[in-house]
Amino acid sequence: MSPGARSEGRLAALLGLPVALCVLAVAVLPMLWTVWESLHRHDLRLPWLGRPRVGLANYAEALAEARFWDALAHTLFFVLASVGLEMVLGLLLALLLHRAFRGRAALRTLALLPWAIPTVVAALVWRFLFEGAPAPGGVPWLADATLAWVPVVLADVWKTTPFVALLLLAGLQSMDEALLEAARVDGATAWRSFLHVTLPLLRPALLVALVFRTLDAFRVFDLVVVLTGGGPGTATEPLALYTFGALLQELRFGYGAALSVIAFGVGFALALAYVRLVGRR
Amino acid sequence: MTFPGSALGAEGELLAAQVERFERVHPGVRVELRRTPDAADQRHQLYVQWLAARVPDPDVLQLDVVWTAEFAAAGWIRPLELPAAARDDFFPAPLAAARWRERLYALPWFVDVGVLYWRTDLLEAPPQSFAALERQAQAALARGDVELGWIFQGARYEGLVTVFLELLAARGGAILDAEGRVVVDREPAVAALAALRDAIQVSGVAPREVLTWQEEPVRLAFQNGRALFMRNWPYAHALLRDPERSKVAGRFAVAPLPAAALGGQLLAVNAASDVPEAARLLVAFLTAPEQLRERAARLGQLPPRRSLYDDPELAEALAIPVEDALASIERAVPRPVTPLWTELSSTLQVHLHRALSGQREPREALTAAADELRRRLARAGLGADA
Repeated sequence: MSPGARSEGRLAALLGLPVALCVLAVAVLPMLWTVWESLHRHDLRLPWLGRPRVGLANYAEALAEARFWDALAHTLFFVLASVGLEMVLGLLLALLLHRAFRGRAALRTLALLPWAIPTVVAALVWRFLFEGAPAPGGVPWLADATLAWVPVVLADVWKTTPFVALLLLAGLQSMDEALLEAARVDGATAWRSFLHVTLPLLRPALLVALVFRTLDAFRVFDLVVVLTGGGPGTATEPLALYTFGALLQELRFGYGAALSVIAFGVGFALALAYVRLVGRR
Repeated sequence: MTFPGSALGAEGELLAAQVERFERVHPGVRVELRRTPDAADQRHQLYVQWLAARVPDPDVLQLDVVWTAEFAAAGWIRPLELPAAARDDFFPAPLAAARWRERLYALPWFVDVGVLYWRTDLLEAPPQSFAALERQAQAALARGDVELGWIFQGARYEGLVTVFLELLAARGGAILDAEGRVVVDREPAVAALAALRDAIQVSGVAPREVLTWQEEPVRLAFQNGRALFMRNWPYAHALLRDPERSKVAGRFAVAPLPAAALGGQLLAVNAASDVPEAARLLVAFLTAPEQLRERAARLGQLPPRRSLYDDPELAEALAIPVEDALASIERAVPRPVTPLWTELSSTLQVHLHRALSGQREPREALTAAADELRRRLARAGLGADA
C-alpha cells in the first residue's frame, strides 16, 4: 500500500469515528447494559432484596413461564397472519395502481392514507368500531379469546397494506416493459406472463417488503395495547406487551431485561435469516 | 414544597383554594401543585420511579389505599403521628389501609365504596342479595324492559379485582387470610367466580361486553338507560343526576352492596423530602374536618371522618343516604395489605379474566392464580405458606 493510500485510510477511519461513537453510545452500550441487568435480580419495588447477581435465573424463569411461551406464539401467529395477508393484498393493490387509468395519481395518494395515520389513533378507531353498541354481527369481538384476533389482524392489514403496495409498485415501475411485450408476442396468457415474468422480476421488491413487515410485526405493541390490552386474559398478548408489563408495570427490571434480550435474539435471528435469503438470489 | 394531587376540574380548583388557605395560615411555606396522570397504574409507575431514585420532591404524595404497604415497606414514606382524638374520628377501615406493621404512614383523604345503582322506574325495591339481583335482572330481560341486566367493571384491571372481592367477601371468603396466606383457591372463591362467569357466559344477566369495560363505559351504558343494575363508585351519582346529559336522571337510586370494596385516597409524606415538617403540616391541614367537609360538599366524596356525618349539610351533597354510606364504610372490605399488592392484583386479574371469558374453568383458574401468588410472595421473601 502506498503511503498516500494509507494516510487516506487513516483519514477515512478518523471521519468515520463520530458515527462509530454514536452507534456505540445509542445502540451497543444500552444493549450491553440490558444484558448485564438481565443477570441480576433487580426489583424496583422490593429494595430490601438489593440487586444480587443471579446468573441465568431470570432466563430460566422466562423459559419456565407458560405466559412467555404463549406471548411468543401469539407474536409469531400475528406475524404470519398479518404479514401473509398484507403481502397478498399489497400485491393486488400494487398491480391495480400500476395500470394506467384516469385519476391514478389521486388514488395512489388516497391508498396511502391508512398508513399515514398514527397507529394508536387507527387502533382506537377500530376499537370503537368493534365494541360499538350494537357490536358488528352482534358478537362481542374483544371479549372472546379467538375472535379478538380478528380486529387486531384486520387493523394491522388495513394500516400497512398500502406500505407493502407502495414498495411493490416501485418494483413494478422499474420493470422493463419490453419483457412483458415479448411474452405477449410469444403468445403467453396474462396469468402465465404474471407468473413467469412479473413475479420473478418482482422478487427483490417482495423480499424487501417481507423483511420490513416481518421485523415490524414482530415488535407489535401499540395496536394490541389499545385494541385488546392483550386480553381477554392474555389471549392476544404479544412478547413486547409481556415484556412491557414486567418492566414498567411490575418494575421487575432484571426479569424484564432478560425478556428484552430474548426478544432481541429472536428478532436478530429473523433478520439474519432474511439477509441470507435476500443475498442468495 | 411540591404536591401532585388530583388537579382536574372542580377537584383541582378546590384543592388550589385549600392550598392557598394553607399558605396564608403558614406564611413562609410555598406549595406548588403538580399535574400527574389520573390513571392509577400510571401514577403508581411514576411514583415508584421517583421514590426508588430517592428524589426529594414531590414532598406530599397522594396514595391509593392499596399502596401504603408497598411504599412503607420500601422505606419511601415517613411514619406519621396522629393525636388520639383524631384517631377515633377516622373510620377504622381506611385508617387500617394507612398502616403497615402497626405504624401509621398516611392519613385518609376520602373514602370510596362500591355501590349498586338501580332503576326506580323498573323496580320497586333494590335486591338484598346477589341471587335476588340475578332473578330481578332475568325477569326484566325476559319482559324486554331493558337491554342489559347487570353491568360492572369487568376489564382486566384493578376494578375487576374489587368486583370479585365484593362477591367473595359476601360469601365469607378472602384473597389472603389474616396471616397473609393465599386462600383464593378455596370454595367461597370458586363459587364467587363461577357465579360471575355464569352471569356473563350462561344466563346472560351480564353482557359479555363488560369484559372490556372500566368505570366510564359502564357509567355511560347505565346513563343511556341500557341497564337495570350497575356496580360502580359513588362518583357516578352526580353525573347520572344531571338531566341535561343523563337519560336516567330521576329514575335511579343507589343501594349499599352486601359487601363493598374499600377504595379511596390517602396522603403521605415522601421519606426523602427536604421539608418533612411542612409536608406533615400540609397533610394534617388537608385532612382536617373543615377541608374534608368542603370536599364532601363540593365533590360529593365520602369523608373519612365519622364526626362529619352528623352534619345535615353533608346529606345534601352525598350520593348515598348518610345511613347507607355509614353502613357501607363500616363494613367495607379492604384489599389485602401487602407490599406486593399491585403485582398480586395484576396476576389475579389475568386468571379471573381467563375464567370470565370462558378460557378456563373457575376452579382451574383460581388454582393457577393461587400457585402464582404463592410463588411471587415467596420470591419477595413475604410468603406465609409453609
